[in-house]
This record gives sequence, C-alpha cells and structure tokens, in this order.
Amino acid sequence: MIDLVLALLSGTVGGLLIALMPRCGSRLRNVVALSSSAAGAVFSWRVAGAVLAGRTIRVAGMNGGLPWSLHPDPLGAVFGLIVSTLWLFAAVYSFGYMAGEERQRTYYTYFLLAFSATLGVAFSGNLISLYLFYELLTLVTYPLVIHERTGEAMKAGAKYIIYSLSGAGAILIAIVITHSLTGNLDFAGGALLADVGLRTGLDWLLALFVAGFGVKAAVMPLHRWLPQAMVAPTPISALLHAVAVVYSGVYGILRVVYSVFGHELMGQLGSSHILPWVAAFTILAGVVIATQQDVLKRRLAYHTISQLSYILLGAFTLHPWGLAGAMLHMISYSTLKMTLFFGAGIIAKQTGKVKVSEMSGVGRQLPGTLTAFGIASLGMIGMMPLNTFWSKYYLMKGSVASGKSPLALVLIGSGIVNAFCFIPTVVTAFTGEMRQPVAEKRLEAGLMLVPTLLLAGIALLIGLWPGLVWPGVDAVVNRFF
Amino acid sequence: MTATIISNLPVFVVITPLFVAFILSTFARRIRLVESLVITVLALGVLGAGYLASLVLMRNGIPIIYSMGGWPAPWGIELVAGSLSAFFLLLVAGVSLPVALFTVDNMTHEVGGSVRTTRFYVLYLLLAGTLAGMAVTNDLFNVFVLVEVATLSCCGLVSACKHPRAAEASFNYLILATLGSALILGGIGFLYIITGHLNMGFASMELSRIWQDYPHVVWIAAGFLLVGFGVKSALFPLHVWLPDAHSTAPSPASAILSGLAVKGYMICLIKVLYNLFGSTLIQKFALHRILALLGMVAIIAGSLFALAQDELKRRLAFSTVAQVGYVFLGLGQVNAQGLTGTLFHIASHAVIKSGLFLAAGAIIAATGKTRISEMVGIGRKMPITMAAFTIGSLGMVGIPLFSGFIGKWHLLSGSLTAGSTLAPLVIVIGSVLAAAYLFPIIRTAYFEPAQAIDGQDPGVPQRIALILLAAGVVILGVAPGPFLELAGRAAVELLALK
Repeated sequence: MIDLVLALLSGTVGGLLIALMPRCGSRLRNVVALSSSAAGAVFSWRVAGAVLAGRTIRVAGMNGGLPWSLHPDPLGAVFGLIVSTLWLFAAVYSFGYMAGEERQRTYYTYFLLAFSATLGVAFSGNLISLYLFYELLTLVTYPLVIHERTGEAMKAGAKYIIYSLSGAGAILIAIVITHSLTGNLDFAGGALLADVGLRTGLDWLLALFVAGFGVKAAVMPLHRWLPQAMVAPTPISALLHAVAVVYSGVYGILRVVYSVFGHELMGQLGSSHILPWVAAFTILAGVVIATQQDVLKRRLAYHTISQLSYILLGAFTLHPWGLAGAMLHMISYSTLKMTLFFGAGIIAKQTGKVKVSEMSGVGRQLPGTLTAFGIASLGMIGMMPLNTFWSKYYLMKGSVASGKSPLALVLIGSGIVNAFCFIPTVVTAFTGEMRQPVAEKRLEAGLMLVPTLLLAGIALLIGLWPGLVWPGVDAVVNRFF
Repeated sequence: MTATIISNLPVFVVITPLFVAFILSTFARRIRLVESLVITVLALGVLGAGYLASLVLMRNGIPIIYSMGGWPAPWGIELVAGSLSAFFLLLVAGVSLPVALFTVDNMTHEVGGSVRTTRFYVLYLLLAGTLAGMAVTNDLFNVFVLVEVATLSCCGLVSACKHPRAAEASFNYLILATLGSALILGGIGFLYIITGHLNMGFASMELSRIWQDYPHVVWIAAGFLLVGFGVKSALFPLHVWLPDAHSTAPSPASAILSGLAVKGYMICLIKVLYNLFGSTLIQKFALHRILALLGMVAIIAGSLFALAQDELKRRLAFSTVAQVGYVFLGLGQVNAQGLTGTLFHIASHAVIKSGLFLAAGAIIAATGKTRISEMVGIGRKMPITMAAFTIGSLGMVGIPLFSGFIGKWHLLSGSLTAGSTLAPLVIVIGSVLAAAYLFPIIRTAYFEPAQAIDGQDPGVPQRIALILLAAGVVILGVAPGPFLELAGRAAVELLALK
C-alpha cells in the first residue's frame, strides 16, 4: 500500500519541488527530475510485482457521496509498468533534448505531474478515480503541448483541451448512467453491468464510453487533435502522444469492455460487431495517411493513430487470444514507437531536418540513431525477431478464433503499408548522398542516443524472449476470462 | 437560556445585520470603526449560521419556527429555519464575510470618500440581511418586501462606484427589476386572492384543494412569478441588465451580486415553487419542463455570449447567466438528485463566482487593464490572485476535486433519473464551454510568451479573502460533507410536499 502511495506521490513531489526552485541550475533540476522518475518507476515496479504475485493493494474511501479507490489489478499494474519504465527513458532523453531550451522549469514540472496523473489512471480502482486522473492528465499535459508558445502550439493546445474535455464529458455521462444502473463503480469484482444483463440502451452507453475514451485513444474520426499536438517537444510527443496520454484512452476502453461490460455482455450487444471494424478502419486509414505525410513527426502521429487501434482491435475481439495480443501490443508498440520518436528527435536536433524527403544520407551522419530507427521500423511491420511479431501473431489468432478472420487480413494489409511507411526512409538515409557529417558523440547527443538504443534493445530482447513479459499478459487474460 | 437562543436564532440572523446597517451611518467619519463593525457582524453571522445549521442537522428535519410578535401562523408572520434555510444562511454568511474582508482598506479609492464608503457598507449589510431573510421567511408578502429591499440595495451597490457607465447600468437594472417586482407582486396577489393566505404552508394546503377551480389563475400566477423571478435572477433572455450592472459595479459588489444576490431570488423561487405549488402541481402545469428548457437555453446562450467578451468582468458576468441556467435546469428535474445538484450548484457557484470577481477586481486595480488580451503574464506578477482565479475556474468547469464537480454529478444524475437525454448533454457541453471561456484567461496569464505587464498581489485582507474563497472551492469539492448533507435533506423536504 505504501508503495502505491509513494509511486503516485513521487512525480507530484518532484514536480512541485522543481516548480518551487525557480532559479536553480539545470543540473540540480535534472537530478530532481531523474530521481523522482526513478523513484516512481521503482515503486510502480514493486506495486506491479505485488499485484502480479496475487496480492491485493487497495486504498479507498468515500468523498461527497462518491466512492474513490486506488486498487491496481493486473491490467492496471501492466499499464503502470509500461508507463513508469518509459518515463525514466523519456526523462534521460529530455536532459539531452531540452539542454539549452527555454522554460525548462515549466517543462519538468508538468512532465513529472503528468507522470503522477498517468500512474493514477493506471492504478484507479473505480470509475470515479479513473475519471479524476483522466481529467487531471488533460490539464497537466496542456502546458507541455504548448511548450513552444507559438501560434501553432497555442492552437494545438486549445484543440487538445476542447477535444479532451468533450470526451471527458461523454465519459462522465456514461459513468453517471452506470452508477444509476448498478450503484457500484468498483473494478474489483466481476464486470459491473454483468448483473444488469442485456437491456435496451446499453449500446448507447457503450458508444458514450468508447467515444469519450476514444478521443484520447485517437480513434478515427476523433483523432484530429493528435497530429496537431506534435508541435510539442519530441520527448513529449514520444511519451505522451505515443504512449501515456493516448494509452490512458486505450486503457479506458479496455476497462470499459472488460471491467464495466464484461466480455460476455459485450458479445450480446449489437455494437460489439461494429467496433472491431471501426478499429480496423482506423488501422488502415491511419497508416495510409501516414505514408502521405512528409513531415516525419506527423507521419509518426498518424502511424500512432493506426497502431493504437491494433490494441483496440484485440480488445474488441472479446477473445482471450485477442486480449493477449492487445496486451502484448500495448507493451511492444510503446518501446518501438518511443524509439522512432526519439530517433526523429535526434535527427531534427542534430541536422535540423524534419521532413522525410530531406533525410537522404542522414544514416551515415547519425549511424546509431538510424540503426535504432531501422530496427523499430522493422518492428512496426511485425518482423520476426522483434516483440511486435508476437503481438501481431496473437491479434491474428484472436481475430480468427473469434470468427472475425477478415480482421486478420486487415492486420496483414496494415503490415505491408507499414513497410512502405518507414523502410524506404531508412534505406535512403543510409544509401543516399552524404551531407555534412554531424557529431553524434557530444554529451547531449549521448543522453539522447543511449535511451534510443536501449529501447530498441529492449524491443529485440522481448522479441527474442517473449516469456519476459508473458506473466503480465497472462495475468490480465486470466483476470478477465 | 439555550432554548431561548435557539428559538430566537432565525430572527437574530436577519435583524442583526439590518440593525447594524441602520446605525452604521452615524459613524460615517470613522471608516475604521465602520469596517470593523461590518466584519464583526458578518463574523457573528457565520457563527450564527453555523450553529443554526448544526442544530438543523441534529434535529433531523424538524425546523425551528419563530412567530413574529408572538402571533402564530396563519395570523402572524412565520420564520422557518429548515434545511434549505440553514443551507442558504450558511452560504450567505460564508460568502459575504470574505467579500467584506476584501473591501477592508480598499473601498475608499474605488468608491470615493468615507461617507460614500459608509453608504456602500450600509447597502452591503442591508443586502446581507435581506438575503438571510429570504433564507428563513415563510411568508409570501415578506418575500416581496425582501425582494424589493434587496433590489434597491443592489441598485445602490451597482452605482456606488465612479465608473462612467455605472449610473446607466444601475438605472437599467432599476427599471427591469421594478418590472420584475411588479410581476412578483402580481403573482403573489393572485395566489392570495384564491387561497386567502400569505403563509406559504397554509396557502399551499388551500391551493392543493382548490387549484382545479381556478386553473387559469394558477397559470397566470405561476407565469408572473416565473418571469418576475426570472428577471431578478437573470434568466436568459431576461438577463439583459446583468452584464452591464455586474461589470460596472465595484468588484466586491459584483462578487456579492453575482455570487449571492442572484441566488437569493432563486431560493425565493424554489420556495414558492416547491413549498407553495408543490411538486405535483409543478408537474401538472408542466412548469418543470419550462424551467428545464429555459435553463438549457440559458446555459448554451450565456456561455456563447461569455465566449465573445474580451472584457474580463463582462465575461464573468455572462458566465453567471450561463450558471443560472444550470440552477433552472436542475429545478426542472423534480427529483431529489436534481434538486440536491441545484442547491449544491448554487453554493458552489456563489463561492466560485465571488472569488473570480474579487480576483478580477484585484487584477484590474493593480494593472488598470480590463481586457483579457492585455493581461499577459499576470500570473507571474500576481501569483496569489491568479492561483485563486485558476482554482475558481477549475471549479466552474467541474474538474473533480473542485466544488463544481459535485454539483455537476448530481445534476447529471438527476436529469438522467428524470429520463431526459438532452439535459445531460447540455450540462457537459456547458462545462466544455466554461473551459473555453475561462481557460484562455489562465493561458494569457501564465503561458503567453510576450513581455508580462506590471502588477502585484493586493494587500493582506484581500489576499486572505481570495485564499478563503479558493479554499472554499476546494473544500466543497474534496469534503462537501455537511453542505451536501444539508442540500440533500433540503431537496427531500422540498419534495415531501405533494
């Protein structure tokens, strides 16, 4: 229990510390940021370890007639594990990327507050707490989106806020309806609506929930804020807009499907046959639009939209294998996408190139970066020795086993388009005409390069040894089936 | 002794501020004394209201009844302190004290001269006393008198300041408010003609017996009262006086007008609707549908108007129009959840909006800027003021942990129980719009890259006032306990009358 509280507090405390020391040097600030990220990570790992070992960790109470509860189950523990681990990498990368930038204090303050908010989403034990942290996450990530303070950034920020709050409004209505139907919002027991049984209107309730969380999960057509939010600094794009914020939306949908409705009731709802196709559409449309983008970060953004729906597709199959695939993809994709974004950030920072069409030859300038980028690109196709191979394998298996085999074809098609999306870039980056060489060995560059390579390494490691993450996936599947 | 205090408490909380208001002008030359008297009276009011609220909570719904002059109802005038009264008294006391604190050492330059300042305080205490009276009264004619006194004090407060548009705004308000009073008087008259009672309890009993004989009269009375109180509480589209009046008044006056005065009329309307007509008649005459519809229109229209304003105080004033909509929307949900939400929203908005107006006043006083677009970087120069403003804004948007959320939750729950599909949608759209008109202010204050303008936090009493109100927003959001309890009980009591 104490681990849980400390995990949640470490980001907040670090963030407030940084906020309260305005004139300190960047070295001290980095130490605070690193140590509170590390503390958060260690405590989250301990929480996850305890939860996966089958122990119950719960802090709960009532407030104004509304119950709140922090009670991570395997799904929350795995999400917390992903988030806290990647936060550590993003923190180190930030030290390199943000060196010499303006407004570092604001940056690190909200960077760490967002850590707490995301862990809060992960560890929430009922819908009220989930909603609370989900809203707080929107608010504390807003200053990160508008970090550049340009007109474009302000516009993106406004769009982000309005989209997110509208989504949260839909979620709130849905939560109130759920409360009035069951009087219970806790995830700890079985699915909330299982006892209510099939009744008219449940499709609409599901639609409200999915539309609400779908905003942050960037399900088409609710995705439009995400490409614009790419004006944020790269570590933020990598961490928040490829993992933490968007995952909180995905996580919300997983919760709704498995903890609120439950797979049995979901299977009886008419809309459960539509939702996989919404996800499939987003997968294909997202990646196709991605190939059309010339600005690398925008390409990555649309690619994110596509990949997030892999997870949703797995969840919507309502099959244990599909859920296993979704969980594996949640773990795998996050490492690869961080690698891609980190690579894009290094390229932009060291060479000033942000467009794909300008990238020929950067591979020879930045060999380490582009190697990691290349590995991640292969992973996005679902190539054999990488972790996403396994997630894709289980997603397909789940699609077929749940009697929706065309979904497997969608996944294969998306893999092919993915190949077009990044591989040519990597190839021309290595074979294209050489430009001015750029040092990849300065200190800041090292701080950026090491996390990038490490993440690519982790992706390979999981790919070669999926048993490393399997206990987590297994626990989640056993929790819900 | 205790029994005497208890039985006289309902009348003391009303007459003490009124009495002090009358003697205040004799000390006009000694402004320090005036200020400390006002603060003392209001602090006593907080104690009295708190004591009364705890009594009401302990008495389990049995109200404390006081008969004026020893004449029992229906002959005499009755003051009834039930859950609703205790709730509103607590609110009036809890908001008027910090707002008065904000005026300490601060009014003379805004209003001009110690005599004018004393006049301001006389009106302020008169308003506080009449609002307390609205909380406890159970008599229709008393309602009218209190409404009139409150209106006149409000007019005086609006024109207290040397703002160039203040006289015009105050005059506009006077004309429209008088129209409203006339309609209220008419409505009360019609009800008196058919029931023969001014005591709400007796009138209600009579009305439930005879309404079928006079359906048209009941219709007209309800219509008159609705429009009359609608004008007073700035229900869209009868709000036209409010933006001018609330934006030109001195900031503490704006705070008390937007935060409390408007709410007083709503409490009167709630009493007339639920204690006199009763929930059955409300539904028979479909008043709840009209209320809910008007409320929804007000939420959307008020928010859109607020969005279009660049002047900070005007934006806040239009925001009040939108938030009034929530109260009417909730009044239209004839169930305990909806009414609890409405009452809690009244409280939450009172605390939030008075805090926002005070913060706005502090900013305007310190920088001389009235437009939002000019308030660049003010968050770094006036950290306490802007922090209070931010907390208020979060409360208004209804982020969990802030007071607005609890009200929003109950309103949503009530409207879903009532089977409405449009109302929940309007409620959440309203809160997104609230974010759209409030967050840009925060963005300009903290995150705009341009050179910050000059300014600094106001003096100590003002800071305390801002901190108290911001703390109120958080406390109501995190631990609404007794307040929510009172609101919930009041809702049940209001619905008990069939």
